[in-house]
Amino acid sequence: MVQLSRRALTVGAASAAFAFATDVAAEEVVKIGVLYPLSGNAASAGNTSKMAVELGADIVNKGDPELAKLMPIARGGGLSGLKGAKIQLVIADNQGTPAAGQNQTLRLITQEKVAAMIGAYQSGITLTASAVAEKYGIPFVNPESVAANLTERGFKWFFRVTPVAADFAKAYSAFLKEQKAAGRKVDAVAIVHENTEYGNSVAGVIADVFAKEGLKVMQNIAYSANSTDVQPEVLQLKEKNPDVVLFISYTSDAILYTKTMKALNWKPEIMMADASGFNDQAYVKSMGREVEGLISRSAFAPGKPGSIAAICEALYKKKSGGDGLDDGSARSLEGFLVLADAINRAGSTDPAKIQAALKATNMPADQMVAGYNGVKFDAKGQNTLGSSLIIQMRNGDYVPVWPKAKATADLVLPFKGWTK
Amino acid sequence: MMTSRRLLQLAVIVVALAYPIVTSGSPVWQRLGALVLLAAISASAWNIVGGYAGQVSVGHAVFFGIGAYAAVVAFVHLDLPPILGAPIGMLLSVAVAVVVGVPTLRLSGHYFSMATIAVGELVRVLSSTSDWLGGAQGLGGPAMPRTVFDLSFVSAMPYYYIFLAVLTGLLGLTWWIERSRMGFYLRAIKDSERAARSLGVSAGRYKLHAYMLSAAFTSLAGSLYLCMFGFIDPESGFGILLSVKMVVMAALGGAGQLFGPLIGALILVPLEELSNSLLGGQGAGITFVVYGAIIVIIARFLPSGLLSLLERRPHPGTKAAPANPNPASGHAD
Repeated sequence: MVQLSRRALTVGAASAAFAFATDVAAEEVVKIGVLYPLSGNAASAGNTSKMAVELGADIVNKGDPELAKLMPIARGGGLSGLKGAKIQLVIADNQGTPAAGQNQTLRLITQEKVAAMIGAYQSGITLTASAVAEKYGIPFVNPESVAANLTERGFKWFFRVTPVAADFAKAYSAFLKEQKAAGRKVDAVAIVHENTEYGNSVAGVIADVFAKEGLKVMQNIAYSANSTDVQPEVLQLKEKNPDVVLFISYTSDAILYTKTMKALNWKPEIMMADASGFNDQAYVKSMGREVEGLISRSAFAPGKPGSIAAICEALYKKKSGGDGLDDGSARSLEGFLVLADAINRAGSTDPAKIQAALKATNMPADQMVAGYNGVKFDAKGQNTLGSSLIIQMRNGDYVPVWPKAKATADLVLPFKGWTK
Repeated sequence: MMTSRRLLQLAVIVVALAYPIVTSGSPVWQRLGALVLLAAISASAWNIVGGYAGQVSVGHAVFFGIGAYAAVVAFVHLDLPPILGAPIGMLLSVAVAVVVGVPTLRLSGHYFSMATIAVGELVRVLSSTSDWLGGAQGLGGPAMPRTVFDLSFVSAMPYYYIFLAVLTGLLGLTWWIERSRMGFYLRAIKDSERAARSLGVSAGRYKLHAYMLSAAFTSLAGSLYLCMFGFIDPESGFGILLSVKMVVMAALGGAGQLFGPLIGALILVPLEELSNSLLGGQGAGITFVVYGAIIVIIARFLPSGLLSLLERRPHPGTKAAPANPNPASGHAD
């Protein structure tokens, strides 16, 4: 009898302690669902994005003394708005398929009970995954998918942090107008683009924005991707001799255009590229020395020592054991920090409160890891302050030159190109 | 004997009908049921030509994709509920099956499989260059359900019962074919096409009929997929992995057996989902390792599928199916 009661006591005490422990744990943790392609075609990009989000969670949970001076959320010890609750990531693999993305989102929401979702890299998967989040009323923050229709669905729980083609076009036109004001000739612009979905849509958006901003597009040359000869296109350029040429191309075409322009020895005043092929390491390594002064864009550049970007770059390098942040992973980290900031301000894991906080997001440019002008969402959930850094090729590598606040080198024009 | 069989049948029916109600507390398990049925529909459709007629098509994703794109095009370009695209997709798939089947079904064995792979890849690449079909980026269905006819539900329960009804209809049709003259001809063709021809079976015609029927139902599976997931792109509509999954599911359960593809789906779909849920977060891609291993194991130890294990037991040492010529005994040979 005595024994029995003692045993009952022990069990009772243990279960009470257990109940207490789970209660406390429930308060101390904010679960965030992370959905990226960790296997399949885009696995390498997905894994860098996943690592960037993990770095973001480390920054919030553990903090970084240097970063804390610039960013209040990096003080460590979890989310101050939730009495120091730690962020717990629940990571899932979308396998590069829209179906798996949707199945996993449902699991994260209904089984793991995540308070918010972040992901999913590919536009198609972001589309199906966010549809589930919308139906369940869970905020879905998308740091990197650029398909225009994602924010045209009338969703209330979808927030896209990344800039889209129109934002890049605005950055280009602002940059060019600044050069015009400085006395450089930018009166005639030529756009050269490959003719698949990417090239056609981006070229269309840029032409529209330039027309609105009063920049004259005098030539619009479409060519078929993976060409074996681009002499006719370059000869067309040479004949009209525009001041500015903007290329929208994948890697092999980028290399071919550079070689052909060199062979025909024709240079515009300003040579620009819409990232992609021209930012590929394969291009930079093989052609970088031939295109001194080439202008391109990137969402990320390490920036001046001691800046938020530079500190995050160093932290990321430590985590990855080598590679630094790039255009993709920097955007993922930025997206995560936007979400963490919103949850912190919401002071709750209630999805509706997080949604309200996301809607009220207003982060200034000086809090950015990526090269945005800040983060502020419109009614459709699109970040209206998304922008891009303009980078320039110098001695075989890109350096940020615009906007001035984030530049580490002065802009040098005209385009110098190859030296015999 | 008869009563225990009946009891088993009854139990299966009860479980099948009650499953979404029992699992209504867990949307993930409920959805898993719908996913199994959807996979079973396309694998059972494949089974008609791949299993019964023995023509191993590894390009069935063509029809799946046509069904899915027909549904999404009905929505995007005609502003109709996606499911209204399903009959158009089925007709189109039958037409494509004739165009592809007439020349390729003359090929035997591996050559037919290779030709179907080529057709599948061709269609995938072509679809990714068409702006009308959304190019490489794909097309989305209704973002928010406008009416119930959009078949866009939060719960998986409606999908489950729709898929169950379609699968029951498909298996019923297959069962009927199995017993009809066409079923005997198909088995004869599978065993030896030359022998069947010499006995006057019009092999080409029956193979083509099986291919057309198979295409129509694979296409229907594609339309249903679109309704459930609301998005299609060239890779998820025409990707070769889709075709391979149909083959592997049917082969695992038992190709050329009525319930073979369903058994295969019952094992492989949960395996894929659970392994991805449990292990996917580490980014090891373990699901595909498991898939590969299963293909190797079937090929080595169970070339006629899991159902062949059940059949061997009553007739040790002999081949079960031909040993009992009386179809009334219930053998699904």
